[in-house]
Amino acid sequence: MHGSGEALPSIIFGLNPMVFAAILFILTYAVIMTEKINRAIVALLAAGLMILGGVLNQEAAIRGVDFNTIGLLIGMMVIVAITRQSGIFQFLAIWSAKKVNASPWGILVMLSLVTAVTSALLDNVTTVLLIVPVALLITEELKVSAYPYLFSMIFSSNIGGTATLIGDPPNIMIGSALGLTFNDFVLNLAPIVVVAMAVTLIPIYLIWGRRLKAADEDRQRVMAFNEREAITDPLLLKKCLAVITTVILGFVFAHSLGLEAATVAMTGAAVLLLLQCWPLDAEHQSKRVLQAFNEVEWITIFFFVGLFIAVHGLDSTGLLELLAERVLHLTGGDPTATTMTILWSSAVLSAFVDNIPFVATMIPLIKSMAGTFGGPEGLMPLWWALSLGACLGGNGTLIGASANLVVAGFAERAGQPIRFTRFLLIAFPLMLLSIALATVYLYWRYL
Amino acid sequence: MTAQNLMNPNPVTLRPTDTVATAATHILTHRLRHLPVVDDQGRYLGTFSIYSLLRLTLPKAVIMEEGLRDVSFTTETIDGLARRLRERGSEPVGQWLSQDDPVMHPDTPTMEVMLLMLRGRTTSVPVVDQHSNRLEGIIAFWDVLEKLLVETR
Amino acid sequence: MHDSGEIASAGSMWLAAVLFVITYAVVMSERVNRAIVALVAAGLMIILGVLNQEAAIRGIDFNTIGLLTGMMVIVAITRQSGVFQFLAIWSAKKVNANPWGILVMISLVTAVTSAFLDNVTTVLLVVPVTLLITEELKVNPYPYLFSMIFSSNIGGTATLIGDPPNIMIGSATGLTFNDFGYHLAPVILVIMAVTLLPIYLIWGRKLKATVEDRQRVMQFNEFEAITDWRLLKQCLSVIGLVVFGFIFAKWLRLEAATIAIFGAAALLLLVNLGKSADEQSKHVLAAFNEVEWITIFFFVGLFIVVHGVDSTGLLKVLAEKMIALTGGNLSATAVIILWSSAILSAIIDNIPFVATMIPLIKAMAPSFGGPEGLMPLWWALSLGACLGGNGTLIGASANLVVAGFAERAGQPIRFMQYTLMAFPIMLLSIAISTVYLFWRYL
Repeated sequence: MHGSGEALPSIIFGLNPMVFAAILFILTYAVIMTEKINRAIVALLAAGLMILGGVLNQEAAIRGVDFNTIGLLIGMMVIVAITRQSGIFQFLAIWSAKKVNASPWGILVMLSLVTAVTSALLDNVTTVLLIVPVALLITEELKVSAYPYLFSMIFSSNIGGTATLIGDPPNIMIGSALGLTFNDFVLNLAPIVVVAMAVTLIPIYLIWGRRLKAADEDRQRVMAFNEREAITDPLLLKKCLAVITTVILGFVFAHSLGLEAATVAMTGAAVLLLLQCWPLDAEHQSKRVLQAFNEVEWITIFFFVGLFIAVHGLDSTGLLELLAERVLHLTGGDPTATTMTILWSSAVLSAFVDNIPFVATMIPLIKSMAGTFGGPEGLMPLWWALSLGACLGGNGTLIGASANLVVAGFAERAGQPIRFTRFLLIAFPLMLLSIALATVYLYWRYL
Repeated sequence: MTAQNLMNPNPVTLRPTDTVATAATHILTHRLRHLPVVDDQGRYLGTFSIYSLLRLTLPKAVIMEEGLRDVSFTTETIDGLARRLRERGSEPVGQWLSQDDPVMHPDTPTMEVMLLMLRGRTTSVPVVDQHSNRLEGIIAFWDVLEKLLVETR
Repeated sequence: MHDSGEIASAGSMWLAAVLFVITYAVVMSERVNRAIVALVAAGLMIILGVLNQEAAIRGIDFNTIGLLTGMMVIVAITRQSGVFQFLAIWSAKKVNANPWGILVMISLVTAVTSAFLDNVTTVLLVVPVTLLITEELKVNPYPYLFSMIFSSNIGGTATLIGDPPNIMIGSATGLTFNDFGYHLAPVILVIMAVTLLPIYLIWGRKLKATVEDRQRVMQFNEFEAITDWRLLKQCLSVIGLVVFGFIFAKWLRLEAATIAIFGAAALLLLVNLGKSADEQSKHVLAAFNEVEWITIFFFVGLFIVVHGVDSTGLLKVLAEKMIALTGGNLSATAVIILWSSAILSAIIDNIPFVATMIPLIKAMAPSFGGPEGLMPLWWALSLGACLGGNGTLIGASANLVVAGFAERAGQPIRFMQYTLMAFPIMLLSIAISTVYLFWRYL
């Protein structure tokens, strides 16, 4: 990412460009962390200032934006926006609850698994956004506390998302920057994710699960739910499932087809829009297309765009290379020590700050370590450490990931708010447990 | 002519401490759809309406923002729902107010009043003093229609 | 644009050409939403191996995309201030609510705002006020709407940011805001004035309103139209700074997209400062949702498709054919581009046409002594594509918006009725452009 061809001015506002970029970057981080200003605004302003200040010109800035990540995110968001209308998420939730005879603990396990699997393949936030209301309805009917369910769903969505290239933004960024494929992620991360998921359910059982009880009468009411009625549009559902399957196959075979992830996702989105709109009249078509595009989280997308530019500006001054050398100096260039440092620091940081800017900064930093570890191949354990740390770390606190905040929002509206400290006291140790598992796994498999 | 000339200055009002059951009785006996709720100083707090009644009868997972949009898979009977409403009968109306409904000021122009009713698909709108937030009255569509017919005669 | 690094076999040239023609045909049929068509076509270009994803992304003109998005966000926020309605009412009162005076004033307001902001938004906000005024005056709104269609397209031609074709041309060639103003504004002023003549002769002199009705319009309080003074001040200062940025872009070494996006971010910041996180994200989301994503993704797909065709060398071959036809004569080439783009833009969407013409004209550079020699051709393309949109009711999006309003107001604008008047007037403006180009450049 370090563009050697870009001529930097020697002085900006009386400052060395490296110092200017660093100050701007730190300020950006600080303002993002205060949450006083919407993050998309902050990132775009920071990107603009990098250009206005002369650290980058517009051309270099555009080159710094990872459009593979942007395209993949937009494509998947459009696909999800259309799929959610079919009622498939609600169907899965109700169906799984009935499969276990509406037993309270069984439902908790099933809903967690459904959340984990859909989070792995689709957007975490959408998954919880659609499954949590069903969970709340079921717990209300069963007259059990919703808290353990919501707690477990937060963990499931973040753990599940870690398993694939498209599960979580950090993985998308890492995969896109490195050219890692969908299969690389599954082969290297899915085993540990399955273990982490299983192990996480044990403390949840011990703390809450064994005391969950519901009256037969209430369970009967849940069993009377007709999950087929939840499917609002069977034809749409078929179209969505066909496109999602094709897209996932596209990801799996992307490498042999010579395709990249953004192409697969965007083309899939366009085809699904086509299937959904054909053969409506022009006005209805543009209404549907507009609706799908409006469901894309533009704040996240523009946050990414601005951030990529800001990080690229910082990178082009050579500062990240310098920092990488420092880190290596600290760990003595030892792969094990470096991997562990990355895993644990990214986990703890991601629990408190947004993991997207952190990962965006770490990527060029780790890339510049290639020389020390014998080329890009030698960096692989570091990438898996970054992914596991950044994704699983989000479980540590209520503000660790967007899905957590969505669940918390629901809990509050349902009159059963999740308190920050109460969540932290149980979630943080549980998160550390999953990171400990990851440590063992990385050590055993790569180091 | 402005909102001031159109409104009914003495509407039926509720206090936030009145119970849901009281409000429901008012609504049923007067066949009213919206009841403004005011505090001891006569300040407007919000509206308790037939929609508030529907909201407190339904499960939270259904009525909340971003909640379930479609519940055709459920099989709840009217008895079950009636039980929910009974359980909530003694709660104060204060926590079931809708505060986002549009309000008017005494000097709102007539055309704006009518446009507000059309856009909000509502039949009555409270008139609130801009500064003191006091409830001055309520305009029901019938008041407007009456004035319109008188003017044309 | 033709990257020598990309392999172009004869097979892929034909593949790209066929895909391109099908895309055009489907877009013109209007059976499928244009964003979908362009994105599917772009995906096929990559999947079928004409381009790889990297080359496709390089083909997207992000300066155009950024400029469009930034300006759309700025307009989305500004429109809430009520300034458009204010301007319309204020201008109507300035001429004492005289019907012909109002027509001229509203046309000028439309032309000037269209030059700096989005045409569609301009008519979207000015037309309802016009309809209210004509209803109060009990005059036929048709001449007003007709004149506003022409004004919005003519005004939009005057600046870099006035109309998508200009944005694309400016972005691809590096022509600045000032270049557009310097080379196009003079002829635009003449065309605007000349266009009002036939409108006066046909309708204007017969427009009459009673004193009583005019009095009612005079009683409108234009200051009440401003819904939020603080917001208005914020918007006007940001728009002022952005236009200032465009004018001095060259000296500041900034490109248009940077200025527009930075302006949009700054305006979002001003508007949201001090609000809660929830309210902020609601506002920001609302602003982003007002961006016309269908247009943006249509552009993205189209840029990729055109780049695919371009990378096979097909456009170069076409350019050579065209030069051979005109014998390499600059005047003949400019006039052909002007008239053909005007007539085509009247019937089909000018965006895909301009997107295709840009690399084609670029490939003509060697015949006319380098990029400098191409200047008259760029102005011909801009004038033809922008003014041509006046020719029919489907020539530009603003026309369709006005027609939609007319229909909802119960006074539909018929396609043929419109074309019979508009097409000759459009040809008149192209004739004036021809004279101008000859006089100044050829």
